[in-house]
Amino acid sequence: MSIAELEARELQLEPGGGGLWSDAWRRLRANPGAIVGFVLVGLFVVVALFAPLIAPEDPRTGDLSRLAGRCCPGPSAEHWFGVDQQGRDELSRIIYGARFSLLIGVVSVAVGLSIGMILGSIAGYVGGVLDSLIMRLMDVMLSIPGFLLAIGIVAMLGPGLFQIMIAVGATQIPIFARLLRGSILAQRENDFVLAARSIGVPRRTILASHILPNAISPVIVQGTLALATAIIDVAGLGYVGLGPQDPSTPEWGTMLTDTTRYLQTAPHLAIIPGIAIVISVLGFNLIGDGLREALDPKLRGRG
Amino acid sequence: MLRFVVRRLLLLVPILIGLSILVFLWIRALPGTPATALLGERATPAAVAAVREQYGLDDPVHEQYYAYVKTLSRLDFGDSITTRRPVLEEFQQRFPATIELALAAMLFSILLGIPLGFLAAKRHGGVLDHLSLVGSLLGISIPIFFLAIVLKYVFAVKLGLLPTVGRMSVLITIEHPTNFYVLDSLLAGDLEALWDVLKHLILPAVALGSIPLAIIARITRAAVLDVQNEDYVRTARAKGLSPSIVDRRHVLRNALLPITTIIGLQTGLLLSGAVLTESVFAYPGIGTWLLEAIEARNYPVLQGGILFVAIVFVLVNLLVDISYAFLNPRIRLS
Repeated sequence: MSIAELEARELQLEPGGGGLWSDAWRRLRANPGAIVGFVLVGLFVVVALFAPLIAPEDPRTGDLSRLAGRCCPGPSAEHWFGVDQQGRDELSRIIYGARFSLLIGVVSVAVGLSIGMILGSIAGYVGGVLDSLIMRLMDVMLSIPGFLLAIGIVAMLGPGLFQIMIAVGATQIPIFARLLRGSILAQRENDFVLAARSIGVPRRTILASHILPNAISPVIVQGTLALATAIIDVAGLGYVGLGPQDPSTPEWGTMLTDTTRYLQTAPHLAIIPGIAIVISVLGFNLIGDGLREALDPKLRGRG
Repeated sequence: MLRFVVRRLLLLVPILIGLSILVFLWIRALPGTPATALLGERATPAAVAAVREQYGLDDPVHEQYYAYVKTLSRLDFGDSITTRRPVLEEFQQRFPATIELALAAMLFSILLGIPLGFLAAKRHGGVLDHLSLVGSLLGISIPIFFLAIVLKYVFAVKLGLLPTVGRMSVLITIEHPTNFYVLDSLLAGDLEALWDVLKHLILPAVALGSIPLAIIARITRAAVLDVQNEDYVRTARAKGLSPSIVDRRHVLRNALLPITTIIGLQTGLLLSGAVLTESVFAYPGIGTWLLEAIEARNYPVLQGGILFVAIVFVLVNLLVDISYAFLNPRIRLS
C-alpha cells in the first residue's frame, strides 16, 4: 500500500480528527482485553475500598475452635474460602488483602514514577554533566537485578509496609527516568518547542506545558504495567520473609507463604491468595496493553 | 562496530566504581554490625572492640573503602561467617548451579515459545492464536513463586513424578570438576546421575522459564505478523517459492532480530526470578546463597556476592547489546 493510500485511509477513518485523548479513549473502549482489564481492576478497587463493608469477619482475629484439631477446614457455606491455620475467615483476609496490595502498589509506583520523572526530565531537558551524572547513577541501579535490589533495600531499612513501598518504588525509578529522558529528547527538537523558545517562554514553562504533556503517554503505559510488577514484587518480598512486620497483616504474598506448610491438607489456603494476586496483576496488564495500543501514534486512525 | 564495543566497555568503568561504592555503603547501612553478627548479642565490649579492630570498622570511611577495593582487586573476599569457607570457593560452587538453571529455563522457553508464536501468527485470529494470547498474558501475570509452588505441589508432592528439592539425589555421588552437574555427570559417563540431575532441573526450569516463554511467544507472534506483510515476502511468494521456504528464509529469519533482543533482555531478568525459584525448590544457587547471607548478616558473602551478581548481570546485558548490534545491519555497518 502506498503512502498516499495509507493517508487516504486514515483520513477516511478519522472524520473530524479527534484529539489524542478522545481518540485513545475511543480505541480503548473498543478493545475487549482492556474492558476485561477495567472490570478486574474495578472489582479489585471496589473490594479494597469497601473491605469493612464486604468482609464478613475481622481479618486479624480467629477462632481456633473452628479448626477442631485439623488444618484446615475447606470452603463451606459459612466460610466460602475456608478457614486458615489460625481459625480466621479466609474470605475476609483476601478482601482486606486487596487493600494492602492496592495501597502498596499505588504508593510504590507513585514513588518510583515521581522520582524517576523528575530525574528523567532534568536529565533530558537540562542535559550536559547533570544528564551524564543522573544516567550513570541509573545505570548502576539497573545493574543490580530488580528484585535483589528490593530485597537489599528492605534488609537495610528493616521490615514494614512503608519500607516495602520504598524498596519496590526504588527499583522502578531508573525505568521511568530512562523512559522520560528518551521521550523528552525526542520532543525537545520539535518545531513547537523551538517556536515557544523563540517567543521567550521560560524554560520551566516550556518543559511543563509543552514538552511533558507530549512525552507523557509512554509513562502512563509504563505506570500501569508497573502497578502489575509492583504487586508481584510485594508478594515476592512477602514470600522470602520480608513482608509486613505484623504477621497477622492480611497481605496476599505473606498469606501464601505462611500456608505452604499446609499444602498437603489445605491447598486452598495457598492457592486462593495466589489466584487473587494473578487476577489483580492480570487486570493491570490488560489495561496497560490496551493503553499501549490506544496511545501508539502508529496505530492511530485504525478503528 | 569496534568503536561501539569499546565505547560500551568504557562505560562499564563508572558503573563498576558506582556499584562498589553502593555495595560498600549498603553493607554499612545494614542494621546490626559484623561484630554482633559474629559474636551474638551478648558479646563483651572487649570482644566487640577486638572484632571492630580486626575488620577495621573504626578507621575513617575513605580508608575502609580503600581497603575494601584492595581486597576486591586481589579477588580475596574473606571467609563466609556461617560456613568458614572462602567466599570465592562458595561462589564457584553456587554460580554454576544458577547458570545451569537459567540455561535450562531459557532452553525451555525458546524451544516452546518460538514455535508457539510462529503458529499463532500463521493462524492469525484462530483458536490457537487466541489461546496463545491469553496464555502469554497469564504467563506474565502469575508470580513465579506461586507457579513454582503449584508445580511442586502437583508434580512432586501429589503425583510423585519429580523430586521436590535440591539439584541431585543425595544417594548419588559423582565427581564435580565443573560444578555444572549436567556436564559433570556426562564427564563421569554416569547416565543414571544425568537423569537424576535433569529430573531435578525440570520443575525449577519450567517455573523460571514461564515469563520468558510468555514474552518470547508474544514477540515472535508480533514479529512474524509484521514481517509477513512486507513487500519482500510478497515478492518471494509471487516468484513461486514454496510456502515453507518463504517462511524459513524470509519470514523467520527477519523476525529473528526482535526475538533475539527479547531473549537477551529476558536472560538478564532471569537472575531476579532465580532468587524466588531457588527458594521454593531449595536449589543451592546464587539466589538462596544471598538470601541466607542477608538473613545471617554474612558480610563477607554479601560484599563479594552482590558485586559478583551485578557484574555478571552487567556483562550479560553488554553481550546482548553487542550481539544485537551485530545482528542489526543498520548498527553494524554504521
